[in-house]
Amino acid sequence: MSAVLSPGSGRSAARLAALWASLPLTVLLSFAVLALVVAWSLAPGVFTSHDPASGVPADKLLGPSAQHWFGTDHLGRDLYTRVVHGTASSVASALIAVAIGVLAGGFIGLLAGFLGGRVDTVLARLVDVLLAIPNLLLAVIVVTALGFDTTNAAVATGVSAVALFARVMRAEVIKTRQSTFIEASFLQGGSRWHILIRHVLPNASRSVLSLAVLQFGLSILVIASLAFLGYGDPPPASDWGLLISIGKDYLKWPWLVYAPAFATIATVLSMNRISRWLRRTN
Amino acid sequence: MNRAYPAYACKRLAQAFVVIALTYVFTFVVVSVLPGDPVTNVLRDPQNGFSEAEIQEIVASHGLDRPIPVQLWASLSRFVVGDLGMSMRSDRPVATLIAEVLPSTLVLAGTALFIALVLALVIAYGTQFVPRRYGQGLLRGTPSLFLSVPSFVIGLVLIHAFGFQFGLFQVIEPDSVPATLFAAFALGIPVSAQIAEVLIVNLDNESRQEYAAVARARGLGPARLFARHLLKPSALPVVTVVALTVGELLGGSLITETVFGRTGVGSLVQRSVSTQDLPVLQAVVSLAAVVFVLVNLVADLVYPLLDPRVKLLEPEHRPRAVQA
Repeated sequence: MSAVLSPGSGRSAARLAALWASLPLTVLLSFAVLALVVAWSLAPGVFTSHDPASGVPADKLLGPSAQHWFGTDHLGRDLYTRVVHGTASSVASALIAVAIGVLAGGFIGLLAGFLGGRVDTVLARLVDVLLAIPNLLLAVIVVTALGFDTTNAAVATGVSAVALFARVMRAEVIKTRQSTFIEASFLQGGSRWHILIRHVLPNASRSVLSLAVLQFGLSILVIASLAFLGYGDPPPASDWGLLISIGKDYLKWPWLVYAPAFATIATVLSMNRISRWLRRTN
Repeated sequence: MNRAYPAYACKRLAQAFVVIALTYVFTFVVVSVLPGDPVTNVLRDPQNGFSEAEIQEIVASHGLDRPIPVQLWASLSRFVVGDLGMSMRSDRPVATLIAEVLPSTLVLAGTALFIALVLALVIAYGTQFVPRRYGQGLLRGTPSLFLSVPSFVIGLVLIHAFGFQFGLFQVIEPDSVPATLFAAFALGIPVSAQIAEVLIVNLDNESRQEYAAVARARGLGPARLFARHLLKPSALPVVTVVALTVGELLGGSLITETVFGRTGVGSLVQRSVSTQDLPVLQAVVSLAAVVFVLVNLVADLVYPLLDPRVKLLEPEHRPRAVQA
């Protein structure tokens, strides 16, 4: 293990190079998209010189051009700038949603799988309840109860993902618990905690990671849907979903819909691809 | 049918009822206990101009001043006998409100499911028999693409392309046949992706089997091989997936109906959210869960009858459909 972790050692460099070479082209592309999205959300000012909130009224509803890559909106604001500045909010809310899903769902699944018996039965019904309510409706009632803003929409999206993580975590824990090396560790006097932290969690983490990546993409979609329905922050916020929602009233100028939609689709598609790759390289 | 079936059926049935009751409780708790008091917030809105005494009266008339558990019990016992309560906004029974808009949503969801099945079949057929150099890889990527597009974007693209550019339907007549068809496409496309994904995995498995090789060696063409041999075993798990997508169809109608300006259960939800009409919201969400649970119950009960190979084991060993 230490050989892999120590920086600059020849072996780890070779491994990295091998991993790099084995990456399919589409996965590389997906990582590139992801990197761009992260960069957009961390330092939007680097990528654009326009102001996302104020526009030039004379330049309203211009088509895409060298000056305005994605065109301009009904107030003459540069759409590319709005998309870039909206990234942080879209990405951060998806992260919140995934964090809630992983932590709450993971905890439920861990308890159910590890303790089994009555606890498992009770938690299984809870998960069934969460699964029975259509995802979007569940998110809608939670955001209604919490109040309309983007953070609450993210929390609601996270709640609607809890069941999925709980199920995967439970399945992984049960799978690991039944394996021979757990029995060996137990016979050697390993405590439950030791087994849980040392064996069960690391083994489950791989599946949960690939699901989390997938869910990150899906969360962007659900949050965009909530923003589209008007349950997120109001303008001048520029979440991708909100941008599309504003664009729908100006369908004669279709780039107002297509540009933010393209950013959304490219991001979600990349996350799907990366998740698939992670699952395959297990 | 094997001997374990009646016991399995009873157990699933009991589970379904427990889940439905719990879902009602869960929805109730979310809607009425979480921080923020939507009812009085709306009533206190100065625009509505209610006096404090009037607010108290309204709250009392709906029984909202009683302790939560009492309210829950009253509401649940009414739900069990099919009484969904009164809307807080229109003073009409919730059941009537839902019954008015249900047919429109059923037509939309039914058409969408049909379109999704056909699309999934076409895509799955293509992945088996379109040669690699003619874009098989592209076809294999379509489900993933369909799942990455926000469903409202699909709707907007359809409206822009076919409604505005080609004039195939009138956007201002959302209930006309062509408009319904396009709305159903918007709703059905993401669903088709989920069905196609499962179908493709199964078809890949089946076409590697020896019987498929034998059929090919006998000179069976791709279409007949697909229709007569591969489809049947691959389509069985689709029963489970289709049952799971019911939730998607119900939830998606919220978006699709908003985009296309249709009146339906989705737009009823949208309206009751914006007016904080909680009894309506509670009823629609619970009914959606009831539909989802019942459809999945039927799928689980029918499955062992359709496929005699299925062994009825404990739930964790039962093959579950992959959720996308």
